[in-house]
Amino acid sequence: MAGVAGGGGGGCSSSSSNDFQWCFSQVKGAIDEDVAEADIISTVEFNYSGDLLATGDKGGRVVIFQREQENKSRPHSRGEYNVYSTFQSHEPEFDYLKSLEIEEKINKIRWLPQQNAAHFLLSTNDKTIKLWKISERDKRAEGYNLKDEDGRLRDPFRITALRVPILKPMDLMVEASPRRIFANAHTYHINSISVNSDHETYLSADDLRINLWHLEITDRSFNIVDIKPANMEELTEVITAAEFHPHHCNVFVYSSSKGTIRLCDMRSSALCDRHSKFFEEPEDPSSRSFFSEIISSISDVKFSHSGRYMMTRDYLSVKVWDLNMENRPVETYQVHEYLRSKLCSLYENDCIFDKFECCWNGSDSAIMTGSYNNFFRMFDRNTRRDITLEASRESSKPRAILKPRKVCTGGKRKKDEISVDSLDFNKKILHTAWHPMENIIAVAATNNLYIFQDKIN
Amino acid sequence: MLGRGLKRKLSDYEENMAGLSSRQLVLNMCLTKLQTYKMLVEPNLHRSVLIANTVRQQESNCCDLRSVEDPIENSLLIVSDDDMSSAISSILKDLDFVEDISPPTCLVPTGDDQPKFSENTGLKLEDDRQDLKGAECVFGSFEISNSTSYLKDLAIDDIFEDIDTSMYDSDFCCPPLMPPRPPSLATEEPLKTFPSCNSSSASNIQICRTDLSELDHIMEILVGS
Repeated sequence: MAGVAGGGGGGCSSSSSNDFQWCFSQVKGAIDEDVAEADIISTVEFNYSGDLLATGDKGGRVVIFQREQENKSRPHSRGEYNVYSTFQSHEPEFDYLKSLEIEEKINKIRWLPQQNAAHFLLSTNDKTIKLWKISERDKRAEGYNLKDEDGRLRDPFRITALRVPILKPMDLMVEASPRRIFANAHTYHINSISVNSDHETYLSADDLRINLWHLEITDRSFNIVDIKPANMEELTEVITAAEFHPHHCNVFVYSSSKGTIRLCDMRSSALCDRHSKFFEEPEDPSSRSFFSEIISSISDVKFSHSGRYMMTRDYLSVKVWDLNMENRPVETYQVHEYLRSKLCSLYENDCIFDKFECCWNGSDSAIMTGSYNNFFRMFDRNTRRDITLEASRESSKPRAILKPRKVCTGGKRKKDEISVDSLDFNKKILHTAWHPMENIIAVAATNNLYIFQDKIN
Repeated sequence: MLGRGLKRKLSDYEENMAGLSSRQLVLNMCLTKLQTYKMLVEPNLHRSVLIANTVRQQESNCCDLRSVEDPIENSLLIVSDDDMSSAISSILKDLDFVEDISPPTCLVPTGDDQPKFSENTGLKLEDDRQDLKGAECVFGSFEISNSTSYLKDLAIDDIFEDIDTSMYDSDFCCPPLMPPRPPSLATEEPLKTFPSCNSSSASNIQICRTDLSELDHIMEILVGS
């Protein structure tokens, strides 16, 4: 089950019996036990080519890693990701009107498709979305007429001859500049942004509303979904995530805290309060508990690359839905079912509200999501095999193969298994990303970013 | 808040639970959480809604089971349920005070205007910034300049019944409202009496240009008679 168009190794045809063999590649971030809150990674995203990997953190910073070109002398070693650009995207703000501090934490980063030499991405905190341009500068002009070499203006009357400035190479400098700031359109906290396939518009979603923006226009946005009730006491449901369809620019979905997904078509009306499709799985009465509603809240929704399926993540499971079937998902994968009997404790320490993300691989044959104790899980949709791996410094030797982990749910604990009660619930993997074409994954474990690659045979 | 990798022994908690009615325990936790969120300046909407739904669901289950259960436990539950109903109502009402700047289905002029407004109020009311939480929300985004008649229709006593309005009797440059209660509650009361404060976006622009003389004028109308 090789990924699509894997580098090296020629065009290996997919054989569904081959499992991935994940190896450690790199880890970014400080090793300190004392983690500064600002360094906690809050979002991870590959760009369309996979050459750039962006992370956002709670301190409002964005760090972009670039994949090095493959080394000709070592053809079997894959390119490493090294820091390309670091910039402060959002600063903490104070809303004087409401006496509220607006966190600078980056909630989401989404790349725009590349159209010229520069790279563009959208980054958002709770209230403001920004379009950043990341461009390279490796030449500078010398021989200006009106300026000296050190930048001082020359006296025009002293200039007796004209010359044409020449371009000279300089050390590569990567500059990030904010090109657009989309502010003041969200009363509630922004949880999602999604770039449309038309590459001109994007949506931003908060707890109760979804707005449509044009990338060129910052002083207005169109409200396309509004679920705020007239009387807030009647509020029973909030929007948790939203995404545009990868190919149909008029279609988007949004998920709710009640475990439902609505698919909307922007052609049908200006305000998409009436959905075109409504996805909900009927509840299993035998598994009903106090916390049924809370654990059904969807924390992430992602379309497959093909656009035929979408995946949702709730507290205990990942579900794959066929867009043509609304009454139940086509596949359900249990992420950490052993937590079902611990829900009360997880509610007490607020872990039950943790928002895990999920992602597809490039060929849509596998999905990945995070768990606790720095574990993350992968599911092969074809073979139905799953694996639990750990992002830890202990297994961080170069090209070391990751050993599968197992959680023991009761009875005798085998060697190398870990019991549910020993799991560290402070080590949670909420954000993961899969390279769009190759078998390279990025896993955010608190303040560290782990990069793993599939071993080349 | 990030812990330092302390591992929780879940089994201990589960054992304690066995001693109490599990439903009672969960309902108590819900009540505690709702009350904690209520004290936050900006409650988490998502969590509040989930907890409120959980409690409501338990309340409805409770009604079904009340005839069957132990009368003592019933009375405990009844007390909890009332607390919880009021907690849910008040926390959701408090969330409504969050000033709504994005009215549905209309183009919302954004960007330049809002920061300008904050900047203006910041300049004029610099010294009394702390005291202005109540004031700014009262005079937030609604059309003061064009709707004095609208204001006259309101029951004046209700608006400021919890605020000491004696300061309005004298001339003043800045309106230093001193709400006796914490800001979140003080701002909630006045806003409730202005149901259309979420309407047209044009009001945002007009507020940017409202100057102090107009504020003085309005204060006189509200308090004078």
